[in-house]
Amino acid sequence: MSISLPTYTRREGPLLGRGPRVRTIVVTGLRREFKRPAAIFAIGIGTAITTITAIVFVLLAPFFLQGQPLDLTFFYLPASNLAILFFVTLMASVVGAGLIADDLDSMALTLYLSRPITPADYLIAKAAILAPLVSMISVLPLFITPLLGLLLGLFPWDIALAAMGLSIVVGLVLTAFYTSIALFLSSLTRRKSYAAAGMFAVTFGLWIPAQVFASPGALDNPSLLYIAPWEDFLAVARGAYGVSSGPIDWPLALAILLAATVLAALATYLRMRAVEVVTG
Amino acid sequence: MLVETSGLTKVFGEIRAVDDLSVAIPDGTIGLVGPNGAGKTTFLRLLLGLLRPTAGTARVLGHGIDDGVAVRERIGYMPEHDCLIPDMTGIGLVSYMGRVSGLDKDTAMGRAHDVLQFVGVEEERYRKVAEYSTGMKQKIKLAQAMVHDPELYIFDEPTTGLDPRGRKEMLDLVRTIAQSPGRNVILSSHLLPDVETICKHVVILDGGRQIAAGDIATLLIGEDRIRVDVRGDRDAFVRQLRDAGYEAEAGATGVRVARKPGVEADVFRVAKALGAEIRYLGAEIRSLEELFLELVERSAGGTK
Repeated sequence: MSISLPTYTRREGPLLGRGPRVRTIVVTGLRREFKRPAAIFAIGIGTAITTITAIVFVLLAPFFLQGQPLDLTFFYLPASNLAILFFVTLMASVVGAGLIADDLDSMALTLYLSRPITPADYLIAKAAILAPLVSMISVLPLFITPLLGLLLGLFPWDIALAAMGLSIVVGLVLTAFYTSIALFLSSLTRRKSYAAAGMFAVTFGLWIPAQVFASPGALDNPSLLYIAPWEDFLAVARGAYGVSSGPIDWPLALAILLAATVLAALATYLRMRAVEVVTG
Repeated sequence: MLVETSGLTKVFGEIRAVDDLSVAIPDGTIGLVGPNGAGKTTFLRLLLGLLRPTAGTARVLGHGIDDGVAVRERIGYMPEHDCLIPDMTGIGLVSYMGRVSGLDKDTAMGRAHDVLQFVGVEEERYRKVAEYSTGMKQKIKLAQAMVHDPELYIFDEPTTGLDPRGRKEMLDLVRTIAQSPGRNVILSSHLLPDVETICKHVVILDGGRQIAAGDIATLLIGEDRIRVDVRGDRDAFVRQLRDAGYEAEAGATGVRVARKPGVEADVFRVAKALGAEIRYLGAEIRSLEELFLELVERSAGGTK
């Protein structure tokens, strides 16, 4: 063992600011995710299937919608693809569930928070790891659809551009919701499997009962669909792409999604401050 | 001053983990000792800005603890518990922590190599942390605290879980850091010999309150008692001193007698009467452990 101090005595230059520190956590976190087999699977399969499906929608559009004008409303079709729902949930479970839970389990949270960053910096970094991966499923396929339609000459450029812009907005709403909920669930437990199960519970545990009870054979009350995030997202997509008919209104659905996103983020922040006390 | 606190208080529910603590800790190497639950870790977390005080204020290296980022830029913290990221390599983790502390990529990597060599993990630096032994994990924890070259090191029980050889290595490293110019150390430990051999000053906490603080050498000299090493009938010696009006008690390392004017002459008079031999008479030099136990007992008595 060598007992001699490193040759430097004091810092050669000023320390970088909080922005670069947060970026370091994000970049390192993304690199770690791209080395994990489960994450690679979810990212690869999820992105591939949703993107290929979106492309198929475009290629088969003239056959799907015979007699119907190819306008903005067409893009609701790829947005309502159930593969998006499944793989967004899978991505949030595989990647998001462990982002904070793993740090709680290994107690690395203490290591992070003893560095010159704030709990908010830490949470922003964790969100910035998950959000791009989720958006590969929630935004990318929706964006590619009008782009491909434009390149193939199936849609006029003004409709395609509008659809691309709307795809980003609509996809980001879903990304923000799933990122926020995943981090919240991850902050509640040291076991990421619990948080992962929670993601599926939030998605399908609300969606399937809402579908069942809202149906005419049961309570026949479409308002129950508001409790399902996926139904809220579909309503927002309908509103964005100009699809007129739908069981629930998009403004209220959007408000519910955004409120849930903000509340989950706030609860996660408060939880982080409380968790630090406990880990001591 | 390294640390200054005024009325610092932290309450968890009904527990006052830190209770109206006002200390002024000078630059240098300071031991923070106290029994389990004394509030040491809470105090350190308050200094790091990880906890908000219920009341009172504190300054670390001239910065208020409410400015946690500025404080933590100047502190290297080695937590007591396991806290490493298991799937990272030693070099990856240490350089990563350097970058999260604000170092640029190249500097962080260079310093990570330097500090890992310093702590003696140069051969295993590319192995994953999960594969390290307890001793190596402790050294990685030390390395990550050093990587950004802080002015103040806070070591929370750095020898926990180490075998005697590992403990000696860790203490050697801490001592080397403590003796380096411009570096200050707060060593929190319940292993009092560790503190006694490394630190110059000590702050003793109990029940969240400071029960003693100051230069260790001064504290260990008992000003109110003298120690007498006597060869002969010690029990009779103690009895006769008590008969002469002195508070005296036989301990494991000699007889302790309360200091009064003329006590030295009376000690020799009693010894002569008993035919006993005085081998030592002078100031009582206690170990830190003896001082600690005495203060804690006194503190407990005061509380009762």
